[in-house]
Amino acid sequence: MTIKTLDISPVGRVEGDLDVRVEIDDGQVVNAWTHAELFRGFEVILRGKDPQAGLIVTPRVCGICGASHLTSAAWALDTAWGTEVPRNAILARNLGQIVETIQSIPRYFYGLFAIDLTNKKYQHSPFYEEACRRFAAFTGKSYEIGITISSKPVEIYALFGGQWPHSSYMVPGGVMCAPTLTDVTRAWSILEYFRTNWLEPVWLGCSLERYEQIKTYDDFMAWIDENPNHANSDLGFYWRMGLEIGLDKYGVGVGKFVTWGYLPHEDRYQKPTIEGRNAATIMKSGVYNSFTDTHVLMDQSFTRENTIRSWYDEGTADVHPFDRTTKPSQKNTKDFDKAYSWSSAVSHEQFGRLEAGPLARQLVAGGEHGESWQHQDGFILDAFKQMGGANIHIRQLARVHEIVKLYRQAEHCLREFKLNDPWYIKPQEKDGRGWGATEASRGALCHWVDIEGGKIKNYQIMAPSTWNIGPRDGEGCKGPIEEALVGTPIFDPTDPVEVGHVARSFDSCLVCTVHAHDAKTGEELARFRTA
Amino acid sequence: MSFLNAEEPTACDLIADFGINILWHPSLGLELGTNLQNMLWDCISGKIPLDILVFEGSVINAPNGTGEWNRFADRPMKDWLNDLSKVANFVVAVGDCATWGGIPAMSPNPTESEGLQFLKRTKGGFLGKDFHSLSGLPVINIPGCPAHPDWITQILVAIATGRISDISLDELHRPETFFKSFTQTGCTRNVHFAYKASTAEFGQRKGCLFYDLGCRGPMTHSSCNRILWNRVSSKTRAGMPCLGCTEPEFPFYDLKPGTVFKTQTVMGVPKELPTGVNKKDYALLTMVAKDSIPAWAEEDFFTV
Repeated sequence: MTIKTLDISPVGRVEGDLDVRVEIDDGQVVNAWTHAELFRGFEVILRGKDPQAGLIVTPRVCGICGASHLTSAAWALDTAWGTEVPRNAILARNLGQIVETIQSIPRYFYGLFAIDLTNKKYQHSPFYEEACRRFAAFTGKSYEIGITISSKPVEIYALFGGQWPHSSYMVPGGVMCAPTLTDVTRAWSILEYFRTNWLEPVWLGCSLERYEQIKTYDDFMAWIDENPNHANSDLGFYWRMGLEIGLDKYGVGVGKFVTWGYLPHEDRYQKPTIEGRNAATIMKSGVYNSFTDTHVLMDQSFTRENTIRSWYDEGTADVHPFDRTTKPSQKNTKDFDKAYSWSSAVSHEQFGRLEAGPLARQLVAGGEHGESWQHQDGFILDAFKQMGGANIHIRQLARVHEIVKLYRQAEHCLREFKLNDPWYIKPQEKDGRGWGATEASRGALCHWVDIEGGKIKNYQIMAPSTWNIGPRDGEGCKGPIEEALVGTPIFDPTDPVEVGHVARSFDSCLVCTVHAHDAKTGEELARFRTA
Repeated sequence: MSFLNAEEPTACDLIADFGINILWHPSLGLELGTNLQNMLWDCISGKIPLDILVFEGSVINAPNGTGEWNRFADRPMKDWLNDLSKVANFVVAVGDCATWGGIPAMSPNPTESEGLQFLKRTKGGFLGKDFHSLSGLPVINIPGCPAHPDWITQILVAIATGRISDISLDELHRPETFFKSFTQTGCTRNVHFAYKASTAEFGQRKGCLFYDLGCRGPMTHSSCNRILWNRVSSKTRAGMPCLGCTEPEFPFYDLKPGTVFKTQTVMGVPKELPTGVNKKDYALLTMVAKDSIPAWAEEDFFTV
């Protein structure tokens, strides 16, 4: 059997490098390992630096989630310094987070995910030719408009933060900007443009108001059948094609989900504390356990990291991130029975390994837990139950479902700004521990900061991919993507596009290379890049 | 990702209209089904001509010069880079990591990072100070964190349309057309700069960010305020001090305690003065400016 190497490159440091190794036996994946192959050392660099260094360094951790890192970095300092954050500043931070995520949705869907639907594996699908017309990279009619329009929402970010990506306009005590009415009206016009040129006509095929009537999976399927505009919108078309080609059949994962919650309410988090955050966010935090169908709140104190299978010399115990020391091993020899990744294995002290991402957010949004005023939406939880659990297809639906809600949240921010009220209250710098969190487009993100003697003693970042791509933990349990890959049916072992679908459905932060091996002989069957 | 925000041309137009065939890109590459590793070896052997090698990210040498902390397909990234740079007509370094090492190369530089032809301001870097690509040009540096998408696309279009010989590079290999003028050039706060009217703290509607908040606009070379970001604004216009991210020293002062968003001063005078201004003249200028400051320069100016 020839080794097929579809995509390997020396380029691409922005998102980092992830390798996935799978063993295939009898037409299905029987074992999997995810290993991050790039060490960047941001935690090491931040040690001993100015307390605010995270505001400059961490947005640059990632080219597409800079606002999310900035949000986490700013709130972490706010909790450490005990600042007061004015209402306007909370709204301006939220708006930055929201428009970054809105940007990411079409960019991810068209640029990274939907191009796989043009794979030759699906050439016999009745949807195939139309999929190629819409989703072919660079030339597909939806690809082109979707990628191009994805640059619009972040124009709003630039109005408030100066530029996207890599602004540092969120600072402890508020924001740097003091926008004018024109900034608000221009932002509103950009939102409208986005809605009337892509979101409604291309993506939904209906008004936002009609889409918002969907409350259950049955509602959604009825919506598709109701009108050809719905069925033939990119959303309707994608959903029908995905069912036809079986994207709903695999990619289950660990069955337990986590979100930090996000978008602190402008009137409820002006005196930010770590403990007060759960009761202050519009989108609530939580862990959803699908085996018991229960929701509970999430708290940073439950987080544990284990590095026994990672290239760090930090012992074998599960530790809280405040107790991490980030000591990279000099020799990063790859050994799948020992250490094989720069990522740590993250877990919840009671629930173990958890999946992060839009699906996790939406499953938690369906819970009855939390405050009565917090956002609640049962659509994706209902679809999850009707479909019998997680799969590739519902991960996409959860992601794209959020765009309408976030659009409304952006409108809320623009309506609520009181332009002549303060945007910043100068804080007192002091030592202490802080924690800031948000939800990046691709899932739960948070930063821990420990300030001592006026400088950073310890800075720890936990990205969504840290949850998802982590290697096996101290008990030998697989990470969420490793687990989701097991059982994946492989149609053509020399071109296991299905593995790519599963890995991509997590929208990992890392450029990802998949290695497929024969389980019996160990022979390499294929190797290709996903996202 | 910044690159995807480009307009005139957009990323899609760049490919469709200017005949640039992207052989591979970490996020946009799509040729699933073709043998890209072989393709790279074909580039290295000369079977496939490689017109432009665009590199982002620092060159990681850790641990101990082996580059094993950044592997791709069981091979250190830097080995791929070494091979490909020899066969490319043009080599373009995009972003601070690829140009000078950037944040990864900041003290203590745990990944032993460097740029393609520089480490901070020192010429050399990974490819060495004498490196020239097959076209005869050294590495073209497009710095910035991030680089402005327009800087990238215009250079690519210049190469694609045969106009690259018009380019002039400064001593740091930056195209002067973008990096001769200052970040301050075109800033809406220039009138406040002239009268030394300061923005004392964030969230204000007046003043210049240079005097108290550490803005590096007068000492940084870029066209940010001439071409704007995301078509609409710039950091300094929106109230954020310029961090000097197109210069090799970024992040300045290695972000030591007390240096972030605070102008470094000696006896109340900025430690670093606008490029080309000496201390004596600056003191004179300050006196004159403060004497002649009009009342409006100290009132709210960018009002609702």
